[in-house]
Amino acid sequence: MARMVEPKALMQGKRKRRKALTMWRMSRYGMSNFTRNMWLTVAATAVMTITLLIIFITLVARQVLVDTVDTIKSRVDMSVYVKTDTPGEQASLIRERLEKLPGVNSVRYIAPGEARDDFAKDNSDDMQTLDALNEAVNKFPGTFRVNIADINDPSQLDNFVKTDALYKKYADPDRKPSFSGQRRTAIQNIGKVIEFAQNAGLVASVVFIAISSLVIFNTIRMAIFNRREEIEMMKLIGADKSFIRGPFVVEAVIYGLIAAIIATGVGVGGLYAMHDKLADYQIAIDGTIHLVTVYIWLVLPAMMVAGALIGVVSSLLATRKYLKI
Amino acid sequence: MILLDRVTKTYGKDKKSALNRVSLHVAPNEFVIIVGTSGAGKSTLLKLLTREEKPTSGKIVVGGIDYDTLHDKFIPLLRRKIGVVFQDFKLLPQRTVYENIAFALEIAGMTNHEIKSTVPKVVELVGLVGKENKFPHQLSGGERQRVAIARAVVRQPKILIADEPTGNLDPKHSWDIVRLLEKINKYGTTVLLTTHNAEIVNKLKRRVITIEHGKVVSDQAQGSYRQ
Repeated sequence: MARMVEPKALMQGKRKRRKALTMWRMSRYGMSNFTRNMWLTVAATAVMTITLLIIFITLVARQVLVDTVDTIKSRVDMSVYVKTDTPGEQASLIRERLEKLPGVNSVRYIAPGEARDDFAKDNSDDMQTLDALNEAVNKFPGTFRVNIADINDPSQLDNFVKTDALYKKYADPDRKPSFSGQRRTAIQNIGKVIEFAQNAGLVASVVFIAISSLVIFNTIRMAIFNRREEIEMMKLIGADKSFIRGPFVVEAVIYGLIAAIIATGVGVGGLYAMHDKLADYQIAIDGTIHLVTVYIWLVLPAMMVAGALIGVVSSLLATRKYLKI
Repeated sequence: MILLDRVTKTYGKDKKSALNRVSLHVAPNEFVIIVGTSGAGKSTLLKLLTREEKPTSGKIVVGGIDYDTLHDKFIPLLRRKIGVVFQDFKLLPQRTVYENIAFALEIAGMTNHEIKSTVPKVVELVGLVGKENKFPHQLSGGERQRVAIARAVVRQPKILIADEPTGNLDPKHSWDIVRLLEKINKYGTTVLLTTHNAEIVNKLKRRVITIEHGKVVSDQAQGSYRQ
């Protein structure tokens, strides 16, 4: 017996098939627009590639800046000095106490003998200094090199040197800790520069991304402006707004996807190519290259999504103007 | 088929009148020529019929559809029932003859099978067999206008509006187009033709409506061009 089909279900099925057919046609038109408008395709894809590359470079530059700043921060440490004759066990105790302070990343103790050896190494070419060093009694203090999380806030350390009884007993009266006096100003200045660089980097990223998006939007807007008569004609022969808009959106998405692939390739290639030069300037680029390489299958889709999204938004906004009744 | 009742259309702040209380009735299967000088109001009249413009006042009914009650979202459906041909052809430059004609069916959601069986018939009707794969820039003006006509009639509309379709053509091609419009009219489509070509108007011996300064100044059953 033939299966009974309700007319409503039949209609719904027909409507679904028609929708799928319309979607397919919009995609086909978008793809054929892409291949047939060669000059427009090349121009729009080129602009989009440059724009996505700017976004890529901006994000990478920010990551490199963060890494470089972290490296600089890790190299800036606070020095706390104890007398030359401080016993090793007492120095170890003081180090343990320092390590327990909140905000302290690490503490390294340089004993007076070690300091003297380092000085001798640094001046190995200067015989006069070496002779003097051999004859004189070791006056180098014991030094605690303290690395703290926030170099702009040494308050915990400051409090420690003022209140810790053990430290005060062995504190070098001739050498104040580095976070006081002139050296403190120097460290604070480094901290301020780092903070400014981070904020400026963030603002620059936002500005660059905003400008880049506007450039793409204007390119697509101009491309659609060139074809406003086509849109007008489509409207007059009864095409739906979505049918008119669809091919433009598909076309812009293709621009975005291709541009994203090129921009990512050029960007990653550029990073590798510039690695040695940037490293010469003490710019911490290894971390970013590692990050981009390991997560390339995340970076590339992210760039493609960004490109496609900018394409969709731009084409929707640009066609809206011409789709009024 | 077409009814305009005291239709007025004004533009701008100074309410310059493009059409002033125009009333007319076009019966099914009629072939009507609308004449008038540039700026007389012919294009405004056609724009009102295709719903590119809304009248300032008055009533318009086309094919039983009252424009007063027509919601904006149904305008594409209305336009699919009216075929339109323009002086400048308005073809899709990146699409072939076949694709330009098929486009009108695709937007209406027709299946590929229906399109494949319909388009060749229309191509034959307009005399473009063998040129299906040409792009508009590879065709003469007359051929382009034939493509535009094919696109307009492929959905078998009840009404065909031809806005100065011979304006960009030489006399020979102009007559080819007019003959084609007559043929389409003979198959049962109401044709509304606007033209400046006095020779065509005088030789066709069809109903002629003359519009001047936004008003219908004459409506003759077998009219001629008024200078």
